Amino acid sequence: MMRNVFFIYGLAILSALALAEYRGWSLNRVDELKNVPKSVRDNPGSYRSVYGYYHHYTGGK
Amino acid sequence: MSSSGPTPGNPQVKALNCPGCGAALTLRSFSQAVTVVCESCHSILDAQDPRLKILQKFQVATREDPPLIPLGNRGTIRGTQYEVIGFQRRTILVDGVPYSWHEYLLFNPFKGFRYLTEYNGHWNDVSVLRALPLSSPGASTLNYLGQTYRLFQTAKAETSYVLGEFPWQVRVGETAEVSDYISPPRVISSEKTDKEITWSMGEYLAGRDVWKAFKLAGDPPRAVGVYENQPSPLIGHVKAVWKLCAAFLVALVVLIIGFYATARNQQVFSQSYSFNTNGKTEASFVTDVFELKGHTSDVELRTQANLDNNWIYLNYALINEDTGHAYDFGREVSYYSGYDSDGPWTEGSQKDSVTIPSVPPGNYYLRVEPESEYYRGTIYYSITLERDVPQFGFFGIAALALLIPAGVITWKFMNFEHLRWAESDYGNSDGSDDNHGAGNAAAIAGGIGAVAGLIGNALDIDE
Repeated sequence: MMRNVFFIYGLAILSALALAEYRGWSLNRVDELKNVPKSVRDNPGSYRSVYGYYHHYTGGK
Repeated sequence: MSSSGPTPGNPQVKALNCPGCGAALTLRSFSQAVTVVCESCHSILDAQDPRLKILQKFQVATREDPPLIPLGNRGTIRGTQYEVIGFQRRTILVDGVPYSWHEYLLFNPFKGFRYLTEYNGHWNDVSVLRALPLSSPGASTLNYLGQTYRLFQTAKAETSYVLGEFPWQVRVGETAEVSDYISPPRVISSEKTDKEITWSMGEYLAGRDVWKAFKLAGDPPRAVGVYENQPSPLIGHVKAVWKLCAAFLVALVVLIIGFYATARNQQVFSQSYSFNTNGKTEASFVTDVFELKGHTSDVELRTQANLDNNWIYLNYALINEDTGHAYDFGREVSYYSGYDSDGPWTEGSQKDSVTIPSVPPGNYYLRVEPESEYYRGTIYYSITLERDVPQFGFFGIAALALLIPAGVITWKFMNFEHLRWAESDYGNSDGSDDNHGAGNAAAIAGGIGAVAGLIGNALDIDE
């Protein structure tokens, strides 16, 4: 019984892995935006990134 | 256990009366009975004597310790029907604490005697050995029919209660040095008295099997704790799961090789840029349009910058020219170096990479907006995009996901063995695997090294 459960579990893990690799899943988080206007190509400054005004590390030792 | 085999036939009991109290006695094993105990007054009588001479009397309340299987009950064990003819309680003292178990003497006129023992709901089917086990003087193991048994405990057992008839001169208060050697589900016991050493072998039985064999009403007593020769419920599972785990890990490696071999790793864009930190014009720009081909897959974006004690932050947006769908993210590249009392040091890197998941095919461009500290000169950097890059992180996660259940099962197995050997006089033994091969749970008690041996066996495909 336990062997069968683990067999199914292992198959599920490998299948999920294969799907993840095939579909290009990633552990990174990337924000997705819809309907970005075509005018961005002509005026890149009009686009407002959600990552703008990021607090940058200016350290060093 | 089954329902076939020799049976005691019709009862041919011999009617007798106790000379102590006059109560009726029943002799079930006929001439093989050496002593018989009166159930009323607990006189131990000489069954070989026609007048049933009283050998011993012991005072005990009749209901103090009633047998769970009443005398006279019949049950089928290993295809043979036996009748319960005797019952005794035996007690050992460990650190001044008495521990008692019960022994049921079973009789079949064709097959002879065998025993059922019970302790805290754990049962054993016991029969006398026909051949002597092999052992060395002072050794903590013995060998019987090619199987190694490990010494579990030695104690002086005292007969503290008897009932029914016995094929030996039974006495309350008589003692024997009892040693148990285990190889679950079996146990070999030696009983040493001044006159003889008797060897017997027990095999663990579940209470429900005993109840079924004797057709007893109700439920058997719940088994408490882990008994010395109780087979681990996980022993077969540990090996099977590790075998499967090994097979899956091999499949995982094959998948890794396959994905790395077939991944396109297609470079779809590469360009170098410069960013003037002194400039006051709009820094953002867009790249030329490039095509992402094939099925939905990931895109890896690599940034390399010639930084020296500086940083650059790049707001990226990968935008589908046709649909307006954008993947928005930011990456910082920073690199610092110097020299102090500890010597030279560096921090950060001039390179960075990020994976954008599940990007459908189409025509895309990048919108890039660099930022950095003002008035730090010109920063040169390059951007490279690759399509369909294998993600090694998933392989690590998959390996962990496969190993964790196997590890949990192994841990539970080890815990079971720990509980078993916690009750042993020899529980501090190192558990070294002197029983190479499958099946002997005792050999792997209490040690990671021993479990490693088990796993090694599990991975041995020739086994």
